Amino acid sequence: MPKHDTPLLDELEKGPWPSFVTDLKRQAATKPECWDILGQVELSYKDRITHWKHGGIVGVFGYGGGIVGRYSDVPKQFPGVAHFHTVRVNQPSGLYYSTAKLRAICDLWQKYGSGMTNMHGSTGDMVLLGTTTPNLEPLFYDLTHDLNQDLGGSGSNLRTPACCLGKSRCEWSCYDTQALCHFLTNKYQDELHRPAFPYKFKFKMSGCPNDCVAAIARSDFAVIGSWKDDIRIDQAAVKGYIKGEFPSNGGAHAGRDWGKFDIQKEVLDLCPTNCMWMEGDTLKIDNKECTRCMHCINVMPRALRPGLEQGATICVGAKAPILEGAQFATMIIPFVKVDADSEYEAVTENIEKIWDWWMEVGKNRERVGETIQRVGLPTFLKVMEVEPLPQHVREPRSNPYIFWQEEEVEGGWERDIREFRKRHAQ
Amino acid sequence: MALSKDELKAAIIEKATKAPKPQLYIKDLYECDPASSPRVIKNVANELVKEQKLMFWSSGSTTMYALPSRIKNEETRDKAESDK
Repeated sequence: MPKHDTPLLDELEKGPWPSFVTDLKRQAATKPECWDILGQVELSYKDRITHWKHGGIVGVFGYGGGIVGRYSDVPKQFPGVAHFHTVRVNQPSGLYYSTAKLRAICDLWQKYGSGMTNMHGSTGDMVLLGTTTPNLEPLFYDLTHDLNQDLGGSGSNLRTPACCLGKSRCEWSCYDTQALCHFLTNKYQDELHRPAFPYKFKFKMSGCPNDCVAAIARSDFAVIGSWKDDIRIDQAAVKGYIKGEFPSNGGAHAGRDWGKFDIQKEVLDLCPTNCMWMEGDTLKIDNKECTRCMHCINVMPRALRPGLEQGATICVGAKAPILEGAQFATMIIPFVKVDADSEYEAVTENIEKIWDWWMEVGKNRERVGETIQRVGLPTFLKVMEVEPLPQHVREPRSNPYIFWQEEEVEGGWERDIREFRKRHAQ
Repeated sequence: MALSKDELKAAIIEKATKAPKPQLYIKDLYECDPASSPRVIKNVANELVKEQKLMFWSSGSTTMYALPSRIKNEETRDKAESDK
């Protein structure tokens, strides 16, 4: 028997798609507080304003993150959700679970919470929605002792590192993303569980420039697989695609007749740097001009593969649009080796350089990308001890991106420019 | 010269007691000792939380520090409002 009328929410059950409203009504059979979620959301739709207050002092002992306090601002109307905290659970690398583990997590949440989950939150965590303060410590004990799972990050902490499936399923992956994600999660436990920074900080790892975890758009520190040498070409397979022996795009988009495969139209003309051409029936690539967009490889996966000298590009500073609009990460280091034998030194030394600087220079609630924007990329490149490259600049041919330092200029800033021009300028 | 750990703890507690804002960002605590690195101050502040002399308040996206007596506590506030 519904506890509240929800005519607006009921509309969301009418389409052919799955509905969270139906799920919540079903869940309310065992968890009556779910009626109050429906009631409060209905009120929010009506009032066009959220009735959640988020923030508070809740947490588990020793941790400064992983639990987000959430309260209703109309608790008398909806007492079941007066306190309705969120728990973030660190997801396994690449989001691999056994069904037994998923069942165990659901059972745990049915015991201590509302039973409602969000798989996965945008940072990647398993998000368990809705519990009360007294349930937090027992939940945490069972989660860590029985299920061997940890909490994820929240607040001004390092957030839960996230990665794509990497080499476990993808032949394009240029490094083992899951291994790096696991390593960084363990290495930076203190930063993950205790607030250290002016604001949140996110790592995301993609195995290739297809960037399936959208690291370049969503993380402060994106490690995106790449290669240094030439794209590997199987010329016989190129001819096979041209003859129509293999479906392009690995057979994706096959629901409609796109006509005969046209390598000129579908590959060469779409190369963003025009670095590909045909000489007779042989495909040529000017690899030094390749910008690693992956389009040609995606279209002809049997014919083209990433090069063999593999590693990653490091991009820094993406964020969602809270203050000044969404921002993509900027490419800072074109290529690093991602090497387990050195304990990923090339990655961690760059992370720590950024942290040491940002902890000092970043303002409260300022993402590292915003700090870079404020101080300018040349200053940040100095922090990172990186020489400016044309690839750091959107229009390197028209933008004078090299800034000379006084000591690099003969005579410094104090020289007599008229005297100099008498001798050198027309 | 940087303060010793105990001096830094005392300076942080003093700041948390006297600051006009009851809840402070980690960067506000850096002012307690400009000679100490941000990482040292962060570690000492977290130790004070472990000792229950400071508490975390988190919005979910940002974390702040406060004395237990000065922190904004939704649960006690809700209770006080319902007792009225």
